[in-house]
Amino acid sequence: MTYLFQILNGIGLGMLYFLLAVGLSVIFGLLQFVNFAHGAFYMLGAYLAYEMVGRGVSFWLALPLACLAVAALAALTEAALLRRIYAQAHTFHILATVGLALAVQEIVIIVWGPIGGNLPPPDSLSGVVILGDFVYPEYRLFVIALTAILAAGLWWLLEGTRLGAIVRAGSESPEDMALLGYDTRRINTAVFGLGAGLAGLAGALAAPIRGVDPFMSVEALSVAFVVVVIGGMGSYVGALAAGIAVGVAQSLMTTLWPEGARLMIYLGMAAVIVMRPRGLFGRA
Amino acid sequence: MTRLLERPLVHFALAAATVLVLPLVLRSGTLASEILIYGLAAAACNLLLGYTGLLSFGQGIFFGLGSYAAGLLLLRTGWPALAVLPAVAVVGAATATAVGWLSIRRQGVYFVMLTLAFSQLFYFLAYTFSDLTGGDNGLLNVPRPMVGGKPLSDPWAYYAYVAVLFLALFAALQRVALSTFGRTLLAIRDNEARASAIGFPVRAFKVAAFAISGAVTALAGALHAMLIGVAPLSNIEYHTSETLLIMTIIGGAANLFASVLGAAFYLIAGDLLSAIWPRWLLLLGVLLVAIALFMQRGLWGLIERAAALATRGGAGRSPDERAAPEESRP
Repeated sequence: MTYLFQILNGIGLGMLYFLLAVGLSVIFGLLQFVNFAHGAFYMLGAYLAYEMVGRGVSFWLALPLACLAVAALAALTEAALLRRIYAQAHTFHILATVGLALAVQEIVIIVWGPIGGNLPPPDSLSGVVILGDFVYPEYRLFVIALTAILAAGLWWLLEGTRLGAIVRAGSESPEDMALLGYDTRRINTAVFGLGAGLAGLAGALAAPIRGVDPFMSVEALSVAFVVVVIGGMGSYVGALAAGIAVGVAQSLMTTLWPEGARLMIYLGMAAVIVMRPRGLFGRA
Repeated sequence: MTRLLERPLVHFALAAATVLVLPLVLRSGTLASEILIYGLAAAACNLLLGYTGLLSFGQGIFFGLGSYAAGLLLLRTGWPALAVLPAVAVVGAATATAVGWLSIRRQGVYFVMLTLAFSQLFYFLAYTFSDLTGGDNGLLNVPRPMVGGKPLSDPWAYYAYVAVLFLALFAALQRVALSTFGRTLLAIRDNEARASAIGFPVRAFKVAAFAISGAVTALAGALHAMLIGVAPLSNIEYHTSETLLIMTIIGGAANLFASVLGAAFYLIAGDLLSAIWPRWLLLLGVLLVAIALFMQRGLWGLIERAAALATRGGAGRSPDERAAPEESRP
C-alpha cells in the first residue's frame, strides 16, 4: 500500500516536472534557445504565490496571478533583452540566461531573505482523503488533477489550434513563417512567455509541497534537463512520459533508499543516454 | 603589438608575471593562491570551450573529486603530497573520460545539459556517501604539503608551492594546445564534419581533451583542498561548475592566459565587492548579460582592442575572426 502511496506522490511530482520540461522544450523548439533561466522563472512563480498568500490573497487567485506575472515578466525580458542574442552562438545564450538566473536569485535573497519559507495549502484542500486503508493529502490530488487538465489543454493548444500550428511550423522553419507574413518576433515573445509561465505555475503549485527557498531554481533546472534528455527535446509525449517516470522513480526510491532518491534520477538519465542517446521519444 | 598578443610565449610570460605581481598587490596569500588555483581550472575549462568547442557545465565534478581524492589519500594513506597529486590527476582523467564519453554522445545544447546533469549526479553521489566525503561538513583536516619536514602553514609559503605547480601545468596545457593534437582540436571546433571526413577519430579526440582537462582541474581541486584545509561539498556543487565557466568566459576563450585573467578578475572583484555588499553576485549576473550582448571576446578582447588602438588599429583584426564558431544545431 505504501507503494501505491508513493506512486501517486510520484505522479504528482512528475506532472510538475512535465510542466517545467515542456516549457523548456517548447521554447527550445521554436527559438533554438536554451533557457538557463527557466529554473529562475519557476522560483519566481513560487515566491510570488508565497508573497501574495502571505498578504492575505486567496490561493486560488494567487495561483493564476503568479503564473501570469511570470509569463509577462519573461515576455518583457525576451523582448527587451534575449531577442538581441538569438543570432549568436549558444555559448552566449547560456551566458546571458545564467547571468539572468544569478541576478534573479540575488534579488530573491534581497527581497525575501536567504532562508526561504513555507506556504500552507489552501484551507479547502488542507485535509486528507481516505482511500481504503490509507490517507492521502487533498492538495496533492488537486495538483495531479489540475496538471492533468493543463496537460490536455496544452496538447490541444499545441496540436489542435492555429497558434500550435504556427509554433510547430516555426520550429521547422522560421524563415518560411516570416515569408508567409507572420510576425515571428511577436510569436517568439508569446511562446517564451508561455514556456516561462508554465514554469512559474509549476513553481506556485510546488510551493505548498516543498516550500520556497532561493536555491530551488538550480534543482528545478537540472531536473527539467534530465526530463528533456530522457524524453527527447521537442517531444510533448516524451516530456510527459519522462516527467512522470522521473517523478515516480524518485518517489519510490524515497521509501527504498531515501538518501539516494535524487541520485537515482541522474543515474537513470546516464543509463538512458548509454542505451538511447536520442532519448526515449526523441526524433533523430 | 597586436601580433605579439597572439604568441604563446607571451601568454606564458604573462602567467609568470601574474605569479610575481600577485604578492606585490595583494595582502592575502590565500586569495593569491586561489587566483592561481582557479586560473588553472579555468584554463583547463578553456581547453574544452575555446579549443574544442565544448561548453562543459561539469568542471566542478573534477574539481570536487580532486579535492576529495587528495583529502582521502593524504588522510588515510599518509603519502606525501607529491605522491598524492599524480594519483589525483589519474582520478580526474579517469572520471573525465567517463563523463566526456557519455556527454559527447549528444551535441550542442544537449551536450551542455548532459554535463550539467552529470554535475548534479556527482554532487548527489558525494552527498549520499557522506561517510567517505563528510557530506555537508566536508572532509575535514586536509593537511598542507610538507617541504623539508615541515608543513607549509604560512600562506605565502604555500603560494610559492602552488605557483610552481601552476606554471608547470600552465606550460603543459600550452604544449597540449600547440601540439598536433591541439591543432586537431581546433579543426574539430571549427568544422566537426570536415575533421571527421578527413579521417580524424573526432570522438576519441574530444574524450582525450576531456581527460586532460579533468586531470588538470582535479589537480586544482586538490591544491584548493590543501589551501583551505577542507574538501568541502561546495567544491563539487553546480555552483563550482558555473563559477569556473563564468571565469573562463569573462576572460575570453581566445587563449589560456585569458582564463587566468578571468579567474583573477572574478576573485578580486568578488573579494572587494563582497566586503561592501554581500549580494554582489547580482552585479555579476548583470555583467554576464552585458558580456553576452556587447563583449563576447571577454577581457582578453578588451586588451586586444586597446592594443589595436595603441598601434593605430593597423594590425587589428575583425573582432569575430577568432570567436568560437556557432555550434552545430541539431
